[in-house]
Amino acid sequence: MAGSGVWAFAQPFSIQVIGLHALTGFIFIAVIGLHIANNFVPLKKYLKNRVVWLVAALTGGLGALFYFQPSPVKAVLGLSGNLGPALDRFEMTEEGMKYDFTPSPSYKLSLDIRTGSTYSLKNPPRLAVWLENQSFYHIKTLYASESEDIKEMLPYWAFKVKGWEEAKKEAEETGVDLNESVDAVSGATENGSFDPADYIVPGETNSSMPYRVMIEINQPADPTEKMEDQPSLIYQVEVDNYDPRTFQLLELVGYPVKEKNEEGEEEWAIYYVDERFGSAMSLVDSALLRIDRSQQ
Amino acid sequence: MKDKKSSMAGRRNFLQSGMFGAAGVGLVFSSSSSVVMAEVDNANIKPEVANEVDVLVVGGGTAGVIAAIQAGRAGAKTLLVERNFQLGGATTTGGVAFPGLFDAWGKQVIAGIGWELVKESVELDGGKFPNFAKVPRSHWMNQVNVNQFVYALLAEEKCREADVELAYYEFPEAVVKTSAGWTVDCIGFGTRRQVKCKQIIDCTGGAEVVGLLGFERLREEERQPGSYLYQLGSSHNPASKQLHRLYVHGADSTNSRTATLANLTGRQSILAKVRKDKKRLMHLQPETGFRESYRIKGETLITVQDYTSGKLFDDAVSNAFYPVDLHTKTGVRPKPLKRGVVPSIPLGALVPKGSRNLIVAGRCVSSDRLANSGLRVQASCMGMGQAAAVAATLAVQGNTTPSEVPLAEIHGLLKKHGAIIPGKA
Repeated sequence: MAGSGVWAFAQPFSIQVIGLHALTGFIFIAVIGLHIANNFVPLKKYLKNRVVWLVAALTGGLGALFYFQPSPVKAVLGLSGNLGPALDRFEMTEEGMKYDFTPSPSYKLSLDIRTGSTYSLKNPPRLAVWLENQSFYHIKTLYASESEDIKEMLPYWAFKVKGWEEAKKEAEETGVDLNESVDAVSGATENGSFDPADYIVPGETNSSMPYRVMIEINQPADPTEKMEDQPSLIYQVEVDNYDPRTFQLLELVGYPVKEKNEEGEEEWAIYYVDERFGSAMSLVDSALLRIDRSQQ
Repeated sequence: MKDKKSSMAGRRNFLQSGMFGAAGVGLVFSSSSSVVMAEVDNANIKPEVANEVDVLVVGGGTAGVIAAIQAGRAGAKTLLVERNFQLGGATTTGGVAFPGLFDAWGKQVIAGIGWELVKESVELDGGKFPNFAKVPRSHWMNQVNVNQFVYALLAEEKCREADVELAYYEFPEAVVKTSAGWTVDCIGFGTRRQVKCKQIIDCTGGAEVVGLLGFERLREEERQPGSYLYQLGSSHNPASKQLHRLYVHGADSTNSRTATLANLTGRQSILAKVRKDKKRLMHLQPETGFRESYRIKGETLITVQDYTSGKLFDDAVSNAFYPVDLHTKTGVRPKPLKRGVVPSIPLGALVPKGSRNLIVAGRCVSSDRLANSGLRVQASCMGMGQAAAVAATLAVQGNTTPSEVPLAEIHGLLKKHGAIIPGKA
C-alpha cells in the first residue's frame, strides 16, 4: 500500500495506479480487521497507554490538515503529479499567472496568463477560470480568486456557477440525468454533459464535444472618463478534441450585463466591448492555452 | 388609366361579392371570407409570350428577389422568372425562415434591400430583432426569425413597386447569345416565353443558366444533406418557434429528378414519423431546403483561406459572415470565424469565367466547398443579389459587361440603396 501510495503521489493521475492503491487499501483494512479479531485482548490493554491516544490525535490532526489543505499543505501536495491539488496547480509570478491542469497523463492543460500594463501586483484584480460545456453551462471552476467580493466582482462566473449548482440540485431532486442530450436549435450538435471528463478526456475523440475555457477578470474601482467603474471582462477559447490544437489564444469576448430574458428571469448576457472601456482592456496582455495530448 | 382599372376592379369585386352573397343564402360562410379578382383577358391565354427587358433575373429565391428589386429600383426594365409559385426560396418554400447573419462582432455588416425586406417582415409581424450589440452564445442566435408567409407577400409587393414583372412556374430551357445580349426561351405550363435581355442574373442556386450556356461549374461527389422542415404535435407559430427538421441525406437540387427524389425521401420519412409518434402533422414545407449543388467557376474563386482570414478583395462588393458550416452525415461542427474577421465577396466570384453579360448571385458563388459552406447563407446571398443587380444594371446603362463596370460606380449605387460596402462597415 505504501508503494502504491508513493507511486500515485509521484506520477500524474493514472486510473491503474489508483485502482491498485484502492485494492491495497481494502486488503489493508481486511488485514487490520483480522489482526484486531485475533489480538483483541492484548490490543485492549494498549488503550490504557497515553502514547496510543497521542498517536491517534496526531493522526486525526494530520488527517484534518490534509483534508482542509491550508496553504503549506497545499504546497507539499503540489509537488505531487497526482490528482488533488496538483491537478489544479496555480502559480503567480511577476510576469503573470500560470495554471496547470492534468486530468490525465495524456492530457496536460496549461493556461499562461500574462499580465498587462494596468495589472497591479499590489492590488490584483479578481480572476476566475472555468470550463463551460456546449450548452453554456459551467462544468468546472479551475481557479477563482480568494476574495469576499468575488461574486460581485465576477458576476458572470458567479451566475454560471449558481446555474450549475441549481441544475445539479434539481437533477438530484428529480432524478433526471443531467447528461441527457438537449436540443440544439441549430440542429448541429447534441450536448449537455456536466461531466468535465466527457469534454476534456473523451473516450472517443470522434464523438467528443467542444468545451470552452473561460476567464473573467475585474479590477475593482477602475473608472474611465465614460464609466464610473469598468465592469469585468470575459475571455474565452473553444477547445475541440476532434480538431486538436496545441496552442490557442483566449480572445476577449465582452463584458457582462444583467438583463431579463423572455421568461422574465434575470440572467447575465455578454455584450461587445465599446469605446467606453480603457484600462480594463490592458489587465491581460495575453492568455495562452496549451494542451499537450499524447497517446496512452 | 390606372384609376379606371381600379374602379372597374372595384365594380367587379362588388358584383362578385354580391353573387357570393346571394349564393350564400342558406349556406354558412366564414365572417372573414373576402373576394378578390385575378381575372385575365381571354386574349392573354395564348401560349406564346415575348418580353424585351434590360435585366432577366432567373430564380426568385433569397438572392433573386433582392437582385430583381434592386435592378427595378435602379431603373432597369426587369423580368423575374421563378419556377416555383412564390418568392423567397429557402426562406419561404424551404422554411428556413431565420435569415442571417447580418451582423458581425457587434456591428451590422450586411444591410441594403435584403435587410429592408427582413426588417419590414419582422415589424409587420410584430416580431423581435436580435440585439447586435450582444455577443450571441452561438452564431445562429443572431439569425432573424421572420414569418415566412409575410416575407413572401412583402417580397412580391416590393417587386411590384419596383416595376419588376413576375413570371411564376417558368424556367429557362434555352439561352442564345445575341449582339444585344441574350435570347432566353422560358417554359411554363401553358406558357412559352421568349425573353430578349441585355443582362442575365442567374440566381437559381445551382447556376442553371450558367450550365445551359456551357460554362464550367463545380460539383462535389457528395452533397451536404438537405433539411426538410415540418411541425409535429404542436401548432406552427411562424417566427416564434423553429420547425422540426429532418436531415435528407443525399438531397441534391442538381435537376428535377434529384430534387424529386429528395422531396419523396423527406416526405416518406416524415410520414413514417407521424405514424410512429402518433402525433398530428401540423405543418409541412412544400419542399426540401437544399444546401448544395453546383457552384460556378468564376473569374475569382474564394478559397476557405480567403474566407476565414477575412480577405478584403480589391473588387469586393459585399460582405459575408457565417462560420464554416459543412453539414455531413454525422451532423455539423460549425467553425466560427476568428474575432474581427468579416469575409468579403469579390465581383469576380459572381462572374462565370470567360463570360460577358452574365452574372450570378447566391450559393452558386465561385468558391471552394468549405468557403461555400459559410457563403451559402441567406444574408450573404442577399448581399450578393444586390451587388450583382447593381453591376448588371450599370452594365446595361454603360453598354458594357458587369466585370467592366468601374468599382466606384458599383459602390456608389450600392451605397445609395443602403448596402454596406466591404471594409467600411
